[in-house]
Amino acid sequence: MPARANTWTVVRLVTVVVVLAASLFAGALPASAQVKLTFDKHPAIDFGDVFTASVRVKSQNDWRAFPSEPESDQKNVFDPYRERIAVEGRILGRVLYHVEREFHDTSSPWKNIYLETRVLHGVHLQGGQFNMPFGLDQTTSLMDQDFNYHSLAGSFLAPGRGLGVMAYGDFFKKNLLAYEVGVFRQDGDNTRSAQLQDVHVAPAFAGRIVVKPFSKWQPLNFARSMETGFAFSDGELPAGLYSLKGQTIAGDAFVQKVYVNGRRQRLGAQLQWRPGSIGVQAEAMRVRDTRLGQGIEDEDLPNLVERAWYVSGTWLATGEHKKDTITPARPFLNGGYGAIELGARLERLSTGGGPALNPALYGPRSPDVFPTADLVWTTGVNWYLNKFFELSLNVIREDRTLPRTATLSSGPVWSRTFRVEFGL
Amino acid sequence: MRWPRIRSLVLMLAIAVCAPMVRVSAQSVGTVTSADTLVDGSGLNDIWLHINARDWQDLHTNYQEGTYYPVDVEWQGVKIRNSGIRVRGNTTRNDHKPSFRIDFNRYVDGQDLFGLKALVLNNSWHDPSMLHDDLSMQTFRKMGIPAPRQAHVRLYVGAAHEYAGVYVISEEISKTFLTANFGEDNGYLYEFHRQDGDNYGFQEQPELGWYIPRFGPKTHETESVANLYTPVRNLVEAVNEARQDNLEDRLGDYFDVRTFITELAVQNFLAQTDGLVGGVGMNNFYLYRFAGKKLSMLIPWDQDNSFSRMDMPPSDNMGTNVLASKIWNEPKYRDAYLARLLDIADLVSSGWLEQEAAREYEQIRAAVYEDPLTPYSRDEFDQANAFVQQFARERGAVVRQYVASIAPQVLNAGRLSVESGAYRTRLNGTPQTQNLPRR
Repeated sequence: MPARANTWTVVRLVTVVVVLAASLFAGALPASAQVKLTFDKHPAIDFGDVFTASVRVKSQNDWRAFPSEPESDQKNVFDPYRERIAVEGRILGRVLYHVEREFHDTSSPWKNIYLETRVLHGVHLQGGQFNMPFGLDQTTSLMDQDFNYHSLAGSFLAPGRGLGVMAYGDFFKKNLLAYEVGVFRQDGDNTRSAQLQDVHVAPAFAGRIVVKPFSKWQPLNFARSMETGFAFSDGELPAGLYSLKGQTIAGDAFVQKVYVNGRRQRLGAQLQWRPGSIGVQAEAMRVRDTRLGQGIEDEDLPNLVERAWYVSGTWLATGEHKKDTITPARPFLNGGYGAIELGARLERLSTGGGPALNPALYGPRSPDVFPTADLVWTTGVNWYLNKFFELSLNVIREDRTLPRTATLSSGPVWSRTFRVEFGL
Repeated sequence: MRWPRIRSLVLMLAIAVCAPMVRVSAQSVGTVTSADTLVDGSGLNDIWLHINARDWQDLHTNYQEGTYYPVDVEWQGVKIRNSGIRVRGNTTRNDHKPSFRIDFNRYVDGQDLFGLKALVLNNSWHDPSMLHDDLSMQTFRKMGIPAPRQAHVRLYVGAAHEYAGVYVISEEISKTFLTANFGEDNGYLYEFHRQDGDNYGFQEQPELGWYIPRFGPKTHETESVANLYTPVRNLVEAVNEARQDNLEDRLGDYFDVRTFITELAVQNFLAQTDGLVGGVGMNNFYLYRFAGKKLSMLIPWDQDNSFSRMDMPPSDNMGTNVLASKIWNEPKYRDAYLARLLDIADLVSSGWLEQEAAREYEQIRAAVYEDPLTPYSRDEFDQANAFVQQFARERGAVVRQYVASIAPQVLNAGRLSVESGAYRTRLNGTPQTQNLPRR
């Protein structure tokens, strides 16, 4: 069954559960129960503890200046990057639901759709379509990103969203050790776009542990927010031209697709540290695809290995504490000028390896994969006007290592993006 | 002391410059140095496709798609690695014995097989003799019309070197072909794609969009619709506006009428039913517009449906094509056309065509007998070849009789009324007579 059909099944299931619950509990509510409409950051309605619903809107619109690539599709200057609406809430105070739809993605408009509940102390269960637990940047909400685009690691090596079931929770106080582990119908949508029509469905597993080693250590107070984590994923890989994609900032593919078969295994490490108004974040990932029987003469080929890493730092110049969601202490036009954040990120995505050989030796069924890479510097400034609006300007420098015959520009190229973001 | 250093420096520079050229050309471990022996038909060559078993299966399962798969191509010890192969063809496209296109540039830019950037492997699905296309192209060339070289090959596939039957290998009409035949490759080349339901014969079509699906650009592919198709529309308008009694007056800048007459004559002599004046309108040709000029010419392609009937009148379907109709209805052009038919009859009567048909039959007979995928029996193959040889032997007399019956003055006149390779004269401004048929 195609992935879209499965997404629809989940959408219907979650919708039926939510509507049924709302109908049943609304009818069964005692007359004395309070129905409360609120508008703090989101419009919300509460039927006591029985049923709650809040609406969230996410809008990101970009103006872009990309380098001219004569052999590639022309990119529009204006890009309505995200236009999403989500409804989320609780049923009986125990079951959390979330349904989210994107209006600019006609191929897969339904994004995060899931139910979750706590079944034991330290054990939550989540089921539906949601981000697989791999990649700090990838699993951070798009509204809470420090830069206009996900990192290359998060965009192309992390699995992204999948249909599945996940258990998560934490042990010890102050989130000293948190875990997530899940099983999914197949690899995530970051890597599956070319496989949507493929009938092969291969289950994938993913897990992550995150520790805060200094969270309870008073002498190192400045390091208490530091957390580090390790993640893995493992899944069956159907035979075909299904190697991971890699794209430039402008969205042009620069990694040659090669035939793979067997298993796809990922390893990842992450670090996040937020002392005061400073934020430091880093990740490294390695993906290994086996290529069993994929040679020209049906022979096994060496594994394909793709690697990516990034290091980023941000500083809230207006003094707010660095958190996932930044709320200005003095909003613009309300006694202040909002919050200003400066940031920089260095990252690299690479595939293949070894010295560049004769070009005739590289092909989708060749043992060698041409060593390609994209080294990217992103510098940016974010202006949080208030808790709803944000303006972001990023200047991006790419340094590409490409085959001599590539149609894209090699060497350093510059891009600029300006984003207007609205979140409700 | 300085000269040895300079010599060394020059030598190193020469190696550095030449190395990139060497690394993307054929990796020769044998003694061949040219693709001529592959496509000149002098021998029956073996081609070995090294291809993943799953890809070979997918090629057959998804034969309606144009998906490329990686393949290493081996010929005479020369191995071209990381080429691309896809199924090709229209009415001959099938999953039993598909035709293929091999693109040496698909994954490795600049790679070629001794100058050939691509090869076509035809299955001869509609031709049990397997000779129609090749003999037709040879006839075109002998009459001064550039046409792709063809030859038969035994095809082997996969690690097990499995025999996949006899194929007709063909040069592709591409920049390489243009350079070899016209000395230039920067003009505009289009492959004509007949659309279902069409019965097209140069009728005027004012909308540029009409030309887009029918004239697929093979050069300058990324240029605008206006750049690509306005000149084609202008050519068609000129064909329609040209006065029948003086075609050159309006058409001369766009088309060489004498070359078109020769092409018509070859196709109708060979009883081609799916060519420029076939029963379904124009089909199986490329259009090439010379660089910096309005002048265009047609290049024949896929002549499987020639040798159809011994008694086919050479005037069949002339009325379906605007230009052919004007030629047929104007005495001076009709006489030129009939004279050209007699030139071809003279050429064929020399025994050349029959000898070539017999030679090729002997060359491929054993291989075809063993072909595991041919849709025809041995008897059908033998009978079809017997007819081709009979056609080559007797068609000249049939055509002469036809000409005598409708225009005896042409039969009695001294001929060579139409100069071979006339397009060259128009192109270069000087007569080119090296391609005149020997009479």
